[in-house]
This record gives sequence, structure tokens and C-alpha cells, in this order.
Amino acid sequence: MEKSKKKIAIVVSENSLDKAMMPMILATSGIALDAEVHVFFTFWGLELLKKNYKPKLKGIMKPFTGMMVKKMKEQNISSFEELRSQCIELGAKFYACSTSMAMMGIKEDDLIDGVQISGATKFLKIALNADTTLFI
Amino acid sequence: MQANKTLDTRGLACPMPIIKTKKTIDELNEGEILLVIADDPGAKEDFPAWCEQTGNELLKMEEKDEDIYIYIKKGGKNE
Repeated sequence: MEKSKKKIAIVVSENSLDKAMMPMILATSGIALDAEVHVFFTFWGLELLKKNYKPKLKGIMKPFTGMMVKKMKEQNISSFEELRSQCIELGAKFYACSTSMAMMGIKEDDLIDGVQISGATKFLKIALNADTTLFI
Repeated sequence: MQANKTLDTRGLACPMPIIKTKKTIDELNEGEILLVIADDPGAKEDFPAWCEQTGNELLKMEEKDEDIYIYIKKGGKNE
């Protein structure tokens, strides 16, 4: 009999480089652990689902983004884009918050493939049945 | 120990060694042995945790210089 999978639910509400990397690393690792991973992108987090989006450091750290990206590359840390496509390839479920889309003027065509547009209820239904829920 | 397949993840940072291990082990048959070579310092904790959670058996883990050699037997506990 197949053991039912563990479920991880993650909410991402920001678009800075650090907060972009975290959910991608956690989602890929979660799937490697044979868990089902559901990530709900809301508010600024939604931008992380845009095609060709390059997250930057926030606030006064913003000018140091290039330096950080270079350092990550030197350390062989996969880029945001690589990790994001790994997530989709491995079967992480990505949800775009419909209300945030309207608010931020983001259209379905702006988003990468493999994203499901949904509301808060859908995500909460998943979260209620998840083994762990993280907020980033 | 004789491995059926070897995966060299040296130079890769977390989470890539684990992702590659998962993909590689998916291609193996039950009971076959995968040798993973890693140099990510997190590997020493990550691999035992991964094996325990996924029902694969960690046969041996040994350090050679800066590298860690991890022998994993594909289990069937989750099938």
C-alpha cells in the first residue's frame, strides 16, 4: 500500500532575492523528501512567478545585488531561475493569488507556465491538511 | 563496497546534491546501491535525514579529505 505523502504548504509574500531563494530551496528539498509541496505567492511574492523576473536585494542593500549574485555563483549555489524551473520540473505546485494579481496589474500571460491561479480559500484548504506551513 | 552507480556532486551547494540524488535513485532498481560523493558541509546531516524520510537505506558514510562518500541502498519502504 502506498504511504500517503507528507504535505508542505508555503506562503511567499515578498520578492527580494533572499526571500526568493528560500522558498525555491525549501520546495525542491521538500520534493526530494517525497513530500507534496504547495507554494502560494501573494502580494509582492507574486512577482517571483513573472517570466524573466530577477529578484534584487531590498532597500539600502539593493545596489549590492550584483555582488551577492556573483558570490552565490562562485559558491555554486543555483540561481533563482534555475531553482524555480527545478521546482516546476519536480512537480511543486505553484499558486498565484488572484486578488494580488488584480491589485498588482499582473496578467496570466506574465506568469511562467505551470502556475495555477487561485484564491486564499484553496490555499487554506491545502494548508489545513498540510503537515507543516511556512510563511516567507 | 561496490556501488551500481556513482554520483559526483562535488562543487554543488544545497539543495542540488539532494535533488540530483533523488533523481538518480529514481532511476535505480530496488536494492541497488548508489554512491554519492559530496563536499557540501551540510551533506553530513542532510543525507541521513533524507534517507530516513524517503525509506532508502544509508549503508555507510565516510570522509575522505574534504569529501564525503555516501553509500545508499535503494529501499522500498515507501512503495
